[in-house]
Amino acid sequence: MEELIEILEDLQPGVDYENVDDLVDGRYLDSLTILSLISEIEDAFDVEIPTVEIIPANFNSAAKIWELIERLQEED
Amino acid sequence: MRKCVKNAIKSIIFLLLFCILVEGISIILLPFDKVKKYGIYKTSAYEIVAEKDNSIDAIFLGDSLVYSSISPMEIWNSYGYTSYDCAQPAQIMPYAYDYLEAAIESQHPKLVFIEANILFRDPEKLPLYKKVAYRIGNYIPIIKYHSNWKKYFTKDKNSWLNVDKGYIYITGIKPSKKDKLNYMHDNDELEVSILPENIEYFDNMIKLCEENDIELVLLAVPSQKSWSFTKYSMVKLLADSKGLEFIDFNIDNDLDIDWATETKDKGNHLNYWGAVKVSAYLGEYMEKTGLLTDHRGDSEYKSWTTAYGIYKEKLK
Amino acid sequence: MSFFSPVFAFVFIPFVVIVYNLFPKKLRAAVLLAISLLFFAFVSRWLILYIILSIISIYLSGLGMQAIEKKKKEVLKTVEKDEKKAVKESYKKKKKFVLVMCIIFNVAFLFMFKYFNFFAVNVNLLLEYFKVGRSITIVKHLAPIGISFYTLEALSYVLDIYYGKIEADKNIIRLALYVAFFPQLLEGPIARYQDTAEALYEGKKVTFESFTFGYQKILYGFAKKLIIADRLNIIVKEVFEDFNSYNGISIFISIVAYTIMLYMEFSGTIDIVIGIGEMFGVKVPENFRQPFFAKNVSEFWTRWHISLGLWFKDYIFYPVSLSKTMKNLTGKAKKKLGNHYGPLVSGSVALLAVWLLNGLWHGAGWHYIFFGLYHFFMILMGNIWEPSVAKACEKMGIDRKKKGYRIFQSVKMSILVFIGELFFRAPSLAVAFAMLKRMFNAFSFRVGELFELGMDARDYVVLVFGLIGIFIMGILREKGIDVRENISKKKLVTRWLIYYALILLILIFGAYGQGYVPVDPIYADF
Repeated sequence: MEELIEILEDLQPGVDYENVDDLVDGRYLDSLTILSLISEIEDAFDVEIPTVEIIPANFNSAAKIWELIERLQEED
Repeated sequence: MRKCVKNAIKSIIFLLLFCILVEGISIILLPFDKVKKYGIYKTSAYEIVAEKDNSIDAIFLGDSLVYSSISPMEIWNSYGYTSYDCAQPAQIMPYAYDYLEAAIESQHPKLVFIEANILFRDPEKLPLYKKVAYRIGNYIPIIKYHSNWKKYFTKDKNSWLNVDKGYIYITGIKPSKKDKLNYMHDNDELEVSILPENIEYFDNMIKLCEENDIELVLLAVPSQKSWSFTKYSMVKLLADSKGLEFIDFNIDNDLDIDWATETKDKGNHLNYWGAVKVSAYLGEYMEKTGLLTDHRGDSEYKSWTTAYGIYKEKLK
Repeated sequence: MSFFSPVFAFVFIPFVVIVYNLFPKKLRAAVLLAISLLFFAFVSRWLILYIILSIISIYLSGLGMQAIEKKKKEVLKTVEKDEKKAVKESYKKKKKFVLVMCIIFNVAFLFMFKYFNFFAVNVNLLLEYFKVGRSITIVKHLAPIGISFYTLEALSYVLDIYYGKIEADKNIIRLALYVAFFPQLLEGPIARYQDTAEALYEGKKVTFESFTFGYQKILYGFAKKLIIADRLNIIVKEVFEDFNSYNGISIFISIVAYTIMLYMEFSGTIDIVIGIGEMFGVKVPENFRQPFFAKNVSEFWTRWHISLGLWFKDYIFYPVSLSKTMKNLTGKAKKKLGNHYGPLVSGSVALLAVWLLNGLWHGAGWHYIFFGLYHFFMILMGNIWEPSVAKACEKMGIDRKKKGYRIFQSVKMSILVFIGELFFRAPSLAVAFAMLKRMFNAFSFRVGELFELGMDARDYVVLVFGLIGIFIMGILREKGIDVRENISKKKLVTRWLIYYALILLILIFGAYGQGYVPVDPIYADF
């Protein structure tokens, strides 16, 4: 989780990632940033995020992203 | 069930109040005291009714061809005759008859012109929604006159005056590619006929005119798309059988319409410059009948002089 | 038949509602489908064949892909572990084949109706250039109503099944109703199967509440269109048709007027669609979210024509940028360019694809393609500059969250959008550029000039009040306040006064009747 927040901080500084729960709907992350985020996550956690999973509900908060990563790791 | 009844009652009250409101607004937008004085009336269909009683010399019945080809103000300025375009888009015979009936209630015109194209329209073919809109327009005049609110926000004291007398002023040009007269045979393949019920209405109109001592004249204004040789021949036959005069501007080329500059839509309707020619010819025709008197200078007709001033101003 | 014709709104809709309610719940979906198809046939006659073919094609492809998936699971149970991968691959290929065939089938219709002539004209130019003595015959035909909208809906359905997001629908009536629901045929929005299919099929009774509630939204849509869009059309028509007679400021005003007009016409139509949807208990997705409050062009497009933007994002942007080749590219680029610029490389390739298609979706014409490229460029630039702007602001001590800066951003964004929409409206690229050139070269200002564009002072007053009204509604919505919900809590007298006021405002101040030319439903041609 900490590693994830570090990645997020790195990509888009100045957001309170612990608490914000509308990262996508609130436009903190635009689609290009999400692209960077996905490639970072895939490198760091050794998962593959399929396009189907790229929906606002999965990316609206750091916690949700973390849930997604854990789920994908299990599925592998 | 009780809720249903309650809702129904609520809806009815809502609609009733709405009708009252609309009626109230209509009075504001079409004030009665101004009606006769300035020539507007609480009906959207028959504007002529709002003209001063017995002040109109001639009326023109017909569809869009009439209100785009004949400008009463031009006739007024050159001959001092008062005329009125009693026209509606895609007018059909029953409506023309209604219009004539409404007009002669308060007017005693000496001449009535019928634009012959409406003889070829099938009243049944008028889409239902247009018929409905026509009726609604008669009952809810604010739909047509809603822009009258503007007349409350102007210093112009003549803003309520009906200037155009039914004519709709258009200066746009869309040249036609066809040349002067050959078009008369272009539309000949089109199957046209004068329906028996239209003849019936026409006969009723003739009767109405006879009773009121009005001379009826058939007319075909220049149009490359709406008119054809077949139509001419049929109307000519009809006119002869009834002993009526028939002026066809399409067959007699006296007007010399320039189809490159004097049409607004590639030859179907004339624009302002075409209308000036048609109106001049008709004014001359009226003069030749010897039925009408020149009202220019008559103080009873002062509003026509004022209207002409505004009309001219608009043309600039 | 336009939504804004009184016959549609006050005769057709009540009629549909009554007929719909008369039938038992189970049959209502079928009734609504029949009405939708009749509506389609009424507008497009025999071209109804094409929407039916589209529906059948996605219905069968959906079931086909589902069957392949099921078979795969059965086979997987029986094979050894080391063979599993190969089995998975082979079934994936089969599924993909079905998907691709279905997409080609549907896109072919779209191409035939919308792009063939554009393609033919340009190929002919090339042939002529190379002195090949042949040419492609240009065929003129009318496209089926809403083909751009329903084709995208149909494609999203098969793609979602392919990706495993949804199950294939066994009920062709439900599926057909999703694709052909009549209010959405004219100008969208492009709904997803998950959004509307279930609710449409349910056959909920239209209640007094849902009916009146829906009508409020419809009236608001009418107000936008009749009071503002049709009034602005006077200026737009006047100046765009003869821009050489006007100088800079008039051209500028007409360009701004066009974008506002487009917004009012399009979002007004969507309000009507949403209102009709609400009557039947269907939540048609919102297509606009106060676009002019956006910070930048990229955000603007997440607030304007939302359903189209999301479609491109889900089915073009992510699939392209996350494809294997692109991922490799991203990885390499990141090493060289760093975390901000690295992913931009593959992102921008995907973005280019999105905006080329977006431009083309709007119509076959070079100015639409330019319109797409223009937005691609603006969004890309925004992204490239972002870190430098952030740094510069920090250095100069500008707080980017302050109101003043936000307004500055919105104004800058709006100007960029106005220029984009100019390319959209102008009949050709050359005209658009000529207008821009003239705007700067012949710049001068007289107050009197405002009244030479066809609108008088009284029209401007109505316009300004109308825009203020809509602006206030926008702020309320931005703050998450549901105006209709609030009105419904008021006393009956207050409520009715509000309704009467709205209707009378439209009746009196609407720009309809003699002297006004209504805006054609702009998006209906796409």
